[in-house]
Amino acid sequence: MKVLEMQNVTKKFGDFVAVDNVTLSVDEGEIFGFLGPNGAGKSTSINMIAGLLRLNEGKIKILGKDISKSNQFAKKNIGIVPQDIAIYEELTAFENVKFFAGLYGLRGEALNERVEEALEFVGLSDKAKSHPKDFSGGMKRRLNIACAIAHRPKLIILDEPTVGIDPQSRNYILQSVRKLNEMGCTIIYTSHYMEEVEEVCTRIAIIDHGKIIAEGTKAQLKSIITNTKDVWVGVTSCREVDPDELKDIAGVQEVQINWEDNVIKINSAIDVNNLNKIIRYFINHNIEIRSLEEKAPNLETVFLTLTGRNLRDK
Amino acid sequence: MKTLSIATNEIKQSLSNKRTLVFLLAFPICLMLILGLALSNAFNSSIKIEDFRVLYLVKGNTEVEQAFQSFIKEVKKNGVQFTRTNDEIDAKKAVKENKYVGLVEVTDQGIQLYENNANAIKGSLLKGMLKTFADKVNLATTVAKTDPGKVQDVLADSGQNNYVQETSINSYKEPHAMDYYAVAMTNLAAFFGMMSAVYLIRGERQRKTDIRLSAAPISKMEILSGKVLGGILTNVLCMLIIVLVSKWVFKASWGDHLAVVFLVLLSEVILAVSLGVGISYMIKTDNTVNAITMVFVQVAAFFGGSYFPIDDVDSFGGIFTRLSPLYWANNAINKVIYLNDMTPAVHTMMWNLGIAVLFLLISVISMRRREGL
Repeated sequence: MKVLEMQNVTKKFGDFVAVDNVTLSVDEGEIFGFLGPNGAGKSTSINMIAGLLRLNEGKIKILGKDISKSNQFAKKNIGIVPQDIAIYEELTAFENVKFFAGLYGLRGEALNERVEEALEFVGLSDKAKSHPKDFSGGMKRRLNIACAIAHRPKLIILDEPTVGIDPQSRNYILQSVRKLNEMGCTIIYTSHYMEEVEEVCTRIAIIDHGKIIAEGTKAQLKSIITNTKDVWVGVTSCREVDPDELKDIAGVQEVQINWEDNVIKINSAIDVNNLNKIIRYFINHNIEIRSLEEKAPNLETVFLTLTGRNLRDK
Repeated sequence: MKTLSIATNEIKQSLSNKRTLVFLLAFPICLMLILGLALSNAFNSSIKIEDFRVLYLVKGNTEVEQAFQSFIKEVKKNGVQFTRTNDEIDAKKAVKENKYVGLVEVTDQGIQLYENNANAIKGSLLKGMLKTFADKVNLATTVAKTDPGKVQDVLADSGQNNYVQETSINSYKEPHAMDYYAVAMTNLAAFFGMMSAVYLIRGERQRKTDIRLSAAPISKMEILSGKVLGGILTNVLCMLIIVLVSKWVFKASWGDHLAVVFLVLLSEVILAVSLGVGISYMIKTDNTVNAITMVFVQVAAFFGGSYFPIDDVDSFGGIFTRLSPLYWANNAINKVIYLNDMTPAVHTMMWNLGIAVLFLLISVISMRRREGL
């Protein structure tokens, strides 16, 4: 089932086209990554999905219903974690979550239970009566998430949820994202941090200048730019190495030897797993291995190749 | 229900905010105490009349002159000094130069008064005394036509010779400094609501919670209604605390018509909150909004009688006074308390609510046009 469908969606601010004829869909149970540099159109797209911005053209459907016709239905089924921490500093953590969950129609004991559940999920149960002004950045980010999930939405949109926090809180949030997904939530995740997207997302769209320039699984995206991978082997001496013998190993396409540093670069087809055979070659020829590194293209490489700039370039 | 949730949330937030409490509670109460004590002498209602000198001129052989001489003798006991003159031109010049309160011309046709408007209080007193005297002469003339023998009795009636008499309506109800500033500061506190109301919606945008509110299944109108209701209730709560402190701690008088006074204050709060919300939609930058609201509130307070009583509304500055919502409310409430006059209260409420509706409409239209809140 499609949780989200965007069909030829365009959004303009005056003459500036922020989102240009975007079409994509997210299936139930996916963790969908939205990658793009600043100003690429990620937040505009997210804001349109959440009903915060009007579309100039196109259509957005949430759980099969057009949001322009079933706005309330769509909003009830979406939980948004904004990029900025959006909480009330004057209210306690419990009061914050309770207020926002209350806007989704929850009342009484059910509301209190959901609030406790959400705070427990983000690990802030013991801070329920504390004010966010006393929280660390990571704790505020977690509260930011709790405010978005207490009403148990089917689609959760996380817009840069790990900006400016410590690694421990970052790991906690990434684990939470996976856990939410396991609990049945479909996730849309945007981030500047390529490794996060690579780590948690099952499918990814790369957006630049308002357009989707690539979409697919990690492997599919990587295969767009290259179909090879490199294995770098550091040895004590390269004198015994025969490049032609190495080329006989299945999948190996090219061998380059750096005599000065005693490093051999072996280029292979990306879909062939020949690492064991390569290692065995060096063992059989009594060549001592000092280091071994397999370098497959990552999303950063994909992004750089497709857009001509790094993800964190301004 | 969601509107009430938003309103409750607004009240909780505001009351947790020290800045709000200082602005809406501590500041007006402190100012009330300081001004009420410091200016207590300025509100003393007794006025000492000194150097009360009047010229009089008798034209022809008038029958009134004898009675007038008796009148002069009587009022002299109250410190009013009459001096005879024969030169009308010099006499008028002396009055014009404010050396005398007035010139009284006693003729066969009656009594005429030439006075200097610069001395309004003494002039009014003199007019009052002369009117009492004229009434007595008229009565004697009427009696003379039916029973001439009783004329002397009428003129000699000592009970009618108290030309200067303290007469006032409910004089005990005149406001003392603390009474005046209790009303003025409560009104000012109500009007301060405008400055916090500017941030009802703008504050949501600043702390980014507008995204959550807009993303929730709730209409913009519900959000605006909840925020405005919360703002009004917060200000009403602060206003009530100020009234109670002034009444029970400072012993200020709030009169016998508390319900009417409350309604005027409520309309003032509604006006202030609506103005704040409206202005926040009309002006884009934070600094400009802050500057405009601050200047507007202070000018309205200065000309509206918040810091000192305003009597003269006919002068140039009176234009600002008449335009100040604080003057409307101060004037209306004082008239309710001290004169039992409800008319200005009704007019003030109508103006306040009318303007409030206008600014709320501006807010609604602006809100609908923009994306997000």
